[in-house]
Order: sequence, then C-alpha cells, then structure tokens
Amino acid sequence: MSDNDNTDDARTDGGGPGIVAPDDETPTWRERKERTTGLSRLTYEYFERARREDQDLRAESDYVERDVLAFPTWPHETVRNLSIAAFFTGMIFFLSATMPPHIGAPANPSSTPAIILPDWYLYWSFGLLKLGPLNPEIAILGGQKLMADRTYGVLANVVVVGVIAIVPFLNKGSARRPVEQPFWSAVGVGGIVYAFTISLLAVKNLMPMDVDLLFDLTFLLPFVAGFVTYAVLKTMREGYMYDLNRRYYRLRPPK
Amino acid sequence: MSLEKKDEMDHEGWMKRKELTPVESTFLTALIWMDKRLRIVDYLELLENLYYKVNLQMPKSHTEQYDLDNKFWYWYPLYALGSFSTLAYIVAAVSGALLGFYYAPAQTGDPSTAYNSITFIMTDLQFGFMLRSIHRWSAQVMVAAVFLHMLRVYFTGAYKEPRELNWLLGIVLISLTMVFGYTGYLLPWDQLAFWAGQIGVEMSLSIPLAGEWIAQLLFGGFTLSQATLQRMYILHVFLLPFVVTTLIAIHIGIVWVQGIAEPH
Repeated sequence: MSDNDNTDDARTDGGGPGIVAPDDETPTWRERKERTTGLSRLTYEYFERARREDQDLRAESDYVERDVLAFPTWPHETVRNLSIAAFFTGMIFFLSATMPPHIGAPANPSSTPAIILPDWYLYWSFGLLKLGPLNPEIAILGGQKLMADRTYGVLANVVVVGVIAIVPFLNKGSARRPVEQPFWSAVGVGGIVYAFTISLLAVKNLMPMDVDLLFDLTFLLPFVAGFVTYAVLKTMREGYMYDLNRRYYRLRPPK
Repeated sequence: MSLEKKDEMDHEGWMKRKELTPVESTFLTALIWMDKRLRIVDYLELLENLYYKVNLQMPKSHTEQYDLDNKFWYWYPLYALGSFSTLAYIVAAVSGALLGFYYAPAQTGDPSTAYNSITFIMTDLQFGFMLRSIHRWSAQVMVAAVFLHMLRVYFTGAYKEPRELNWLLGIVLISLTMVFGYTGYLLPWDQLAFWAGQIGVEMSLSIPLAGEWIAQLLFGGFTLSQATLQRMYILHVFLLPFVVTTLIAIHIGIVWVQGIAEPH
C-alpha cells in the first residue's frame, strides 16, 4: 500500500504528514547540479554519462534485483549503532583502566592448585563435565558405566550445542515475539537458567551449600523457571494479542 | 537517439567536442582515468544517496509503518549487541596486535619466557599494563555481548526462515569465540593457563576414537609442553583471526542482504 492511494482514509500507520512537499519554485537536486559551472559542472556531466552507461549495461544484463522486505541495515541500523559504538568503546577503556587483570603464579606442573577454573564463559562447559552422577549404569555390564564420566561430559557439550543449532528447524512459523510462542520462550528461559545453574555446579567447591542439593537444583530450577515463564506468557497472551494492530495481522496472518 | 553505442560511450570524443581549457581537460582526463579503473561513480552514488537520505525523509521501517514502536521499544537496545561484539573484536584485534610485538610463546627458563614477557609488558613496558587490560576486557566484553546477542536472536525469533543458516553460522562463531578465549588465556603460561590446558588435553583425550589424534593436533602431545604453548599461540594469533574475521564478515554480509529481523 503506497502513501498516495488512500487519501480519503485517516492515516493509521502512525506517521505524521512527513516532510513538506517542495513547491514549484524549489529547485530539484538535479536542477541545482545542472546550474553549477566549471569543474563541478563537468564532473556532473561526466557522471551523468557514466551513469547512463551503467544503466544501459544493466538493462542488457539478465541480473534481477530483488526487493528485500525487511529492516534496512543501512542506514537505519548502522547510523544508530555507530553513535552507540563510541560510547561502548569508551566503556571497554573505562573497565580496563579501573579493573586491570593481574597475573597468577607461573605454571608449576608439580603443584596442583586447590581450585582450577576456566574463564567465566566456559563455566557451563566445565559444569557439563561434572555430570558423572547422571551417567547411566548399565545393569547388564554389572553396574559398569557405558562410557567414562569424562567422555559423558564431553558428549553433553556436543548435545547442548547441537540442540541449540537445530532450533530453527524445530521451531517454524511466523511467530516472532515471546508472547506468541510461550513454549519456545519457556525453553529459552529454562536454557538460560540452566546455563547459570550448571555454571554454579562448575564452581561447586566455592558454593556455600550442600553439593547434592546444588546438583538437584541445577536440573530442577530450569524446569521451574520454564514452567513459570510458560504460565506467565500464556496469561499475558490474550491481552497482548488484542492490542496488536489488526491491520498488521490481516497483512501477515500467523501460520 | 543514437544507435551507435560506441559513440555514446566515447568519452574522449565527447571531451574534444567541448572545447575545454587545459585545467578542465586535465581534470576530466584524470577523473575518467580513475573512474575507468575504480568506478568512482558507483561510490559517488552511495554518498549522494546518503546525502539525500539525511536531507529528505528516511524510508519507514516495518515497525514504523505499522505503528508497532510502542510495542517493541524495549527490544531496540538489544539490537546493538551484534555490533558491540564486532566492535569489541576490533578493539581486541588492535590491542592484540600491539601485544604481539612484545610476547614470545616460549617455555624456556623458569619462569618461562612467555610468563616473563607478560611480566615485562605489565611492569616495564610503557602503557603495557593498560594494553593488556584493554585486550583482556575487550575479549570478556565480546564474549558477553555474543552470548546476549544470541539470546536476543532467540527471543525475537530472528533465527527463523530465511535466517536459519545465519543462526548456524552464529553457533560456529560463538564456539570459535570461546576457543579464542581459551587459547588466549593459555598464553601467559601461569598456573591458571597450565591447569586449564591440562583439562583441555584430558577433555580431548576422552573423546572416543579420535581423542588421541585431536590431542596431538591441538595440544601437540598428551602432556603440556612447548608444543602446546606454540600451537595455542598460532591458533590465537594466526588461524583463528583469519577464520573468525572471515566468518564475521559473512555473518554480517548475510544480515546486510536479508535485512535485520524486527520483532514482529
């Protein structure tokens, strides 16, 4: 729907009248450029020729330019982000100036430190290595475990990454917002909580609580958080759906 | 209307017809010479476009057009996270290149040369402490931004058709980011580095079938040695930068082509 064909209707798209239309006296950009003299005039003439040349070539080619129906990266996103970028870089410098890292004792293979931990962003992976108690014991093998605890932990890493990777192929349809898809949002919140709890499990020797309780909570809390999210979003859904622009839904009906 | 295309494109003939002053013809010759090789006209068009767009009204985005701003404003700050991680990556790359002038991945001596070079950077080098601090913090911030970026993409359903492949690429990138971090904090060769490396070797060894091969490939043996440090160094400063930079470029390129997924 273009801006011109619904002049009778009240505009419902939220836009104002926009810019003031140029009147007949206002020179167009082309006219302004045609009026220039000297080198800039020559530049203009040459570029007009070059552009026509390009246009001819384009008309000859069989390449099809498609419209992309989405949010333009340039200039919308780029301009907005560049303005924030300066602030953000400043923030990194501020952090570095106020909290510089220090270096530990040099490597010493003969003394194992009491606490070995990776950087914080690998805690979840480190926590997955400590899933030993969940490793099933096969009765036929006489209570032996099918695979070593460590292998099991590495496998858990692969499973977690794999599950995240196939999300787009499991969750299809046009729903975008959390209220439109309570289940998948619940899965997401459960996943976040699990990332935190499994990280806490990784640092269990630093946690001031019973390790068994911590282990149980690690797997219980994500489900609790997921259920709560699901319930909340289901409840919110009615109200939100009513508020959504009806015209928008006529345009893009949910599959 | 001329049917002779060659004539139409004959810029030299066009110049001759115009009776130019020496300054003008020199300028035009240079301009045409440059434009034939670099197609300046294309870039000029970009600049002109920008100029018009800041002077005229920007096209409306999807949310603006359907007046959905009041519903989604709270998502908008989160849409900058991808840019933030790229930005932190650039800061890390620049500071890392500077650090690379002073770091040597060698285990000779006690404490090792690697550890000593970090100590040198932190104590003797002008601005060295700040440089290392910037490198470390930009790495931390990048990882954090990448995680949050992934959550934003998940909760706005931005991974859905047609963006599935970019989501997969993102999974690869977030993994490589963590490998970047891991190889990075092994380099100082302090206690943390050594025992983190130990865990890494044991993890690779516990992979069925391919474990020993992977340990050999990544860590240069089943115990930590000079080879380990050197491999981590090459991964961190040579292999990963090329791979990750390329993948980031593709990742952003796909976003550019497909457009940002707005919260619908």
